[in-house]
Amino acid sequence: MQDEHIAQEDLILFAMQAMRSHELAAVRLHLDRCAECRRVLAEVNGDLALVAVSVEPKSLPEGARQRFVQRLAADASRVSGAGAAGAISIETKRPARRAAMWIGWLATAASLLFALSLEQKVHMLNDQLAQQQQAAAQQAAANARAQQVLDVLTAPASKRVLLTAANVKPTPTGRAVYLADNGGLVFQANDLGQLAADKTYELWVIPANGQAAIPAGLFRPDAAGSASVVLPPLPKGVPAKAFGVTIEKAEGSATPTAPIILVGAVPAAGE
Amino acid sequence: MTELFDRYSGLVYSVALRVLNDPGQAEDVMQEIFFQVWRNPNAFVAGRGSLGAWLAVMARNRAIDSLRRRRPTDSVDDVVLASSCDLGSEVARNRLMEKVRGVLKDLPMEQQKSVEMAFFEGLSHSEIAARTGDPLGTVKTRIRSALMTLRKAISA
Repeated sequence: MQDEHIAQEDLILFAMQAMRSHELAAVRLHLDRCAECRRVLAEVNGDLALVAVSVEPKSLPEGARQRFVQRLAADASRVSGAGAAGAISIETKRPARRAAMWIGWLATAASLLFALSLEQKVHMLNDQLAQQQQAAAQQAAANARAQQVLDVLTAPASKRVLLTAANVKPTPTGRAVYLADNGGLVFQANDLGQLAADKTYELWVIPANGQAAIPAGLFRPDAAGSASVVLPPLPKGVPAKAFGVTIEKAEGSATPTAPIILVGAVPAAGE
Repeated sequence: MTELFDRYSGLVYSVALRVLNDPGQAEDVMQEIFFQVWRNPNAFVAGRGSLGAWLAVMARNRAIDSLRRRRPTDSVDDVVLASSCDLGSEVARNRLMEKVRGVLKDLPMEQQKSVEMAFFEGLSHSEIAARTGDPLGTVKTRIRSALMTLRKAISA
């Protein structure tokens, strides 16, 4: 049907709205593309108008005109609001004008309605614009603050200071680095308390195989509480489970004496 | 708008009443058509032909929709017609009406009935064929022939 013109009989069916719905879509599609069929259809509609004109004229029901005018007035009020309703005049008397005057009137009414609708739309768009500008300003302020935070955190000149509770005695800490294969051990401790002259700290390696703790060196902290043990003599090939520090007699001990001042477990593989 | 209404409401109402045979429904159809023109004054443009003819076709189509109790099958701006009929004055309309009625009256009775059933009763061609017992193709040909005869007679 898209390639061939539609038969006039079918266009008559279409014009009379008597076409079946499944045919209707195809005809509409063809008409959209075919000027010739549109021309024929327009002629058919002209013929049908002639048939319509053959109808015996009848008088309108009483009050029909007034009902229509009231409906227009109600619609004008609804569309344009109470203030604008007066702007669209709906004549209630039959005026003696030229036959074509209604076209101008319609155009004016349409323009007024269009202008009112446009004004409402402009107002709505202005509101939306103001809201979007406000949102954009808030977003810009948030972005500026985020950038400031980033600048402070990443600037080379920034000073990094750890603050702790004031007047609190520092907690002793120790770090051990142990290589079991060759028995190498480096230990460094901070914030250790000072000891009596007859006491010392002693570092212990706790073997993973459950054997007795192996002494790994005696040490005393300096005035700042720091101390270190570097490569003490230890047997090779002894995996450690943990390390500990105890306070012992100045000459040291063969077994650790409670309490354990510092202790740290060796992390499991992969940790 | 009221001038437009005064000029054409009689035609629109008469066509609707002819189809619906119910004054209330016919007035509803008439009001709706003029209201749509009011709401959408650009629906009719001069290139669509005579305004009166356009309103007459709209009245028939809307009345058929109402008769079938269905939603409007076309919008007001769907109907384009080629017509130079002057329906703007009552005198011209009456003259044309008499001429058309004369042409229709002279048509073969089968053509008259087919046009009547299709246009004013809203029957499809197949419904007409079923009612009259005539083949569908015959019904189609009758209606087309009737319209062609009418067109030639009026344009002569």
